[in-house]
Amino acid sequence: MRKLLLVLTIVFTVLAILFSALPMDTLAFLPIGVAIALSLVTLLKSEGNQKKFPKILLTISVICSVFVLGKTIFIKDEVEVDKTFEQQKIETKQEAKKELEELENDLE
Amino acid sequence: MFDFYQKKFLFFNNFKELYLHKFILMKRILLLLPMIFAFLSFTSSTRMQVRAGEKLVYAGSYNMSGLMTQLAQVTMSTENVSTAKNNYLHLSCELSTYSKWDKFFKIRDIYESYVHPTTLKPSLYKRSIDEGGYTKKEKYVFKNNKVTSTVKKRTYPESSRSFNIKPTSIDAVSILYQLRLVDFSKMQAGQTKSYTIVFDEKEVPVTLKYMGKEEIKAGNLGTKECYKISIGAKTDALRGKDKNLIWLTADAKKIPALIKFSIPVGTGQLTLTSASGI
Repeated sequence: MRKLLLVLTIVFTVLAILFSALPMDTLAFLPIGVAIALSLVTLLKSEGNQKKFPKILLTISVICSVFVLGKTIFIKDEVEVDKTFEQQKIETKQEAKKELEELENDLE
Repeated sequence: MFDFYQKKFLFFNNFKELYLHKFILMKRILLLLPMIFAFLSFTSSTRMQVRAGEKLVYAGSYNMSGLMTQLAQVTMSTENVSTAKNNYLHLSCELSTYSKWDKFFKIRDIYESYVHPTTLKPSLYKRSIDEGGYTKKEKYVFKNNKVTSTVKKRTYPESSRSFNIKPTSIDAVSILYQLRLVDFSKMQAGQTKSYTIVFDEKEVPVTLKYMGKEEIKAGNLGTKECYKISIGAKTDALRGKDKNLIWLTADAKKIPALIKFSIPVGTGQLTLTSASGI
C-alpha cells in the first residue's frame, strides 16, 4: 500500500514540477494539490526513517504551489504585438472599404 | 353708439380669432411634443450608447478542469469608416491569446461588422479566424433582404452562396451592440425580446431574457449595478438554459461588464478590464 502511494506521489510531484514550469497558469494547482495530498497520506503511512522521502516530495510540491501562486499574482498577462496580425487587420479594413463601395454601386 | 358696439364686436371677434389661433397652435404643439420627445429619445439613445472611438478590453477565461484559466484578451472597438457615398460604424471584436499560450495554441480571431451609425443595421460582416493553425474566413454582404456569403476554410477552395433573410436579421457582432439600445429599465424580470442573426450561413433565432439587476465588478469603471440578460439561441454553438449570460451596466452607456458562455467544449467568461472612449 505504502509503495503504491509513494509511486503515485512521485508521479504527481513530477507532473506538478512540469505544470509549474510550463505556462499552465492556475491549472498547475491540480497536480500540485494531488501531489500534496498524496505526500501527506504517504507521510502518515510511513514509519521512522521512511518519512524522509515523502517529506522531500511534500516540500517540492509546496515550493511548486508558491512558485505558481507568485507567477499568477506578479506576472501580468500580456498579448504580444503581432505584426502579421496588425498587417492583416489593415488589409481587411481596406478590402472592406472596397466591398462597401461595390455594395453601394450595386444598390444604386 | 354704433361705433362703440362695432369696436366692441371687432374686439371680441379679434379676441375670438386670437383665442382660436392660440388654441390651434397649442393643439399642434401638444400633438408634436410626443413626436419630438420620441425622436429626441431615439436619437439620443442611439448616439449616446454606441459611439465611435469606444474601446472595451476583456480578459477571456476558460474553465479547465474546474479552474478558470485566463487564456486570451478580447477587444471590442468602434470607429467611423467613410466611403465616397456613406458613413459606417465599424464594430470590431478581436481575440488574441496571451503570449504565454501562443507557443501551445495561438488564437488570432477577428469578428467585424460595418453598420449604419444610428440604426446599427449591418451592410458587411467579416470573420477571420486562426485557431492553432485552423483558418477560416467568412464574408457576408447584406443587400436588402439577401445575404451573399463567401467562405474560405483552410486550403479548401472558396465557396459562395446567396440566401434570403428577414428584413430585421442582423449579424453576430451587431447584436451585441443592438442589445445596448434596448431600454431594460422598462422591462420586468422574465420578459423576453427576439432577434434573428445570420451565423454559419443560416438564420438563427435568438431570444434575450431580462433577468433583473445585479452588482458586478466592471474593471476601471468600478463596481456597477448591471442588467442581467440571458441569451438563448437555437444553435449548437451555445449550450444550456440561462447559461449564456451578459451583464450590461444599468446606465445610459450599457457597457457589457461580464459575459458568461457555455459552449459544447466547456464554459468560460469575459471580464471587463478596461473601458475607454465611452
